Amino acid sequence: MQPWLEIMQLRKTIDDFQLGPIDLSFEPGTIHALIGKNGAGKSTLMKMLMNLVKKDEGQIRLFGQSIQNRDESWKQHISYLPQTLIGCNSFNGLELMKLTSHWYSTWDQKYFDQLVQMFDIPLRKLYRNLSQGVQKKLSIALTLACDTDILILDEPTAHMDIPSKQMLMDILVEWMERSEKLMIIASHQTDDIRKLADYLIVLKNGQLLGKFEKEELASRYKRYFLQRPLPNKPIPGEVGRKGKQIVITQQQENTEQYLIEHQYDWIKAESLELEEIITIMLNQPIYQKGT
Amino acid sequence: MELPIQIAKDSPEPIYYQLEEQIKALIASGQLPAGSPLPSIRTLSKDLEISVITTRRAYQNLEYEGFIQTTQGKGTFVADIDDAKKEKVKTETVYKAIQTAVQTALRHDYTFAEIEQIFQQVMVELREKEGS
Repeated sequence: MQPWLEIMQLRKTIDDFQLGPIDLSFEPGTIHALIGKNGAGKSTLMKMLMNLVKKDEGQIRLFGQSIQNRDESWKQHISYLPQTLIGCNSFNGLELMKLTSHWYSTWDQKYFDQLVQMFDIPLRKLYRNLSQGVQKKLSIALTLACDTDILILDEPTAHMDIPSKQMLMDILVEWMERSEKLMIIASHQTDDIRKLADYLIVLKNGQLLGKFEKEELASRYKRYFLQRPLPNKPIPGEVGRKGKQIVITQQQENTEQYLIEHQYDWIKAESLELEEIITIMLNQPIYQKGT
Repeated sequence: MELPIQIAKDSPEPIYYQLEEQIKALIASGQLPAGSPLPSIRTLSKDLEISVITTRRAYQNLEYEGFIQTTQGKGTFVADIDDAKKEKVKTETVYKAIQTAVQTALRHDYTFAEIEQIFQQVMVELREKEGS
């Protein structure tokens, strides 16, 4: 399928932080999760997709059109939820709704009303008088109701209470099915990633470790409980050990082949939780690039 | 509509295959009669915490084998399948379950004779239950 959004050799330097070079493509019908530690470059990358941060080098193409053009019609196709909305404090929800709906020809008023009701958002209160969680709910309702082809969400569930997080998850799933859509979401919540993501895009210190399909990534990692102690030197694929008889690998096939050849029988082999895999990836020194 | 499906992440069988086999079994056993709606790919992916790529693969295979049908704009439904096909799936499911049980026993160093003994014992117990 033709990608809707393409990033080619994208680079940006801010003070001593270097982002890129980044090459990525995003196909319709999919949800991509941006993963990385604080300061890895997730928000900067998202802002660059919106042309809110200028790139130094490279290209961003939306439906085949460069977003650097003077023609800004591409903005009709994409809505963005930043981590914090700036400049909203002295408006109430109704005013913000008027401002937002004015910009998007795809605005869905009925859907907005529905979201407001579901999240129980008071529209007549000033934005600055809302709690952080309710501010988030309002900005999500404003962003989703634009009903654009592409949705970029920077930490949508931060500050939200647990039932609202669960509800948002269902809302995002339904949003994906409104028509052919593409969603890019930055999150530190493993629950969001497990339930929503099809692909994981992993960033580390501004470098792209890779874009991974969720199950394909999970299938590479395994934990073996062995019947006898391993030699001291690392075995093929090994990324961690606990004691001498528990070993974690990120190249399941190579490790298994080694274990069989050297007759290290195992009592049990188990998959790793996504959270564990992400932790290993983000803590590992960079020497191996994903596909 | 929620399907009673459980994915074993530790299993060496790929996830799309597990999903495919379990949906087939639900159809063959009559728990999902012809015409029943199936969840959308996105919803099922969320419930099972897998990617749409995996779920789509399972649905595509099921559609190819004639177990389900997708109608543009309406969704995915269980197809009308003949009894012979249902019977075949049933046989395969049961055969595989017993095969897995025997393999488990072998991994625990049981001999074939011992496994047969266990099998007989299970049969006796279940027959008694059935009778009472």
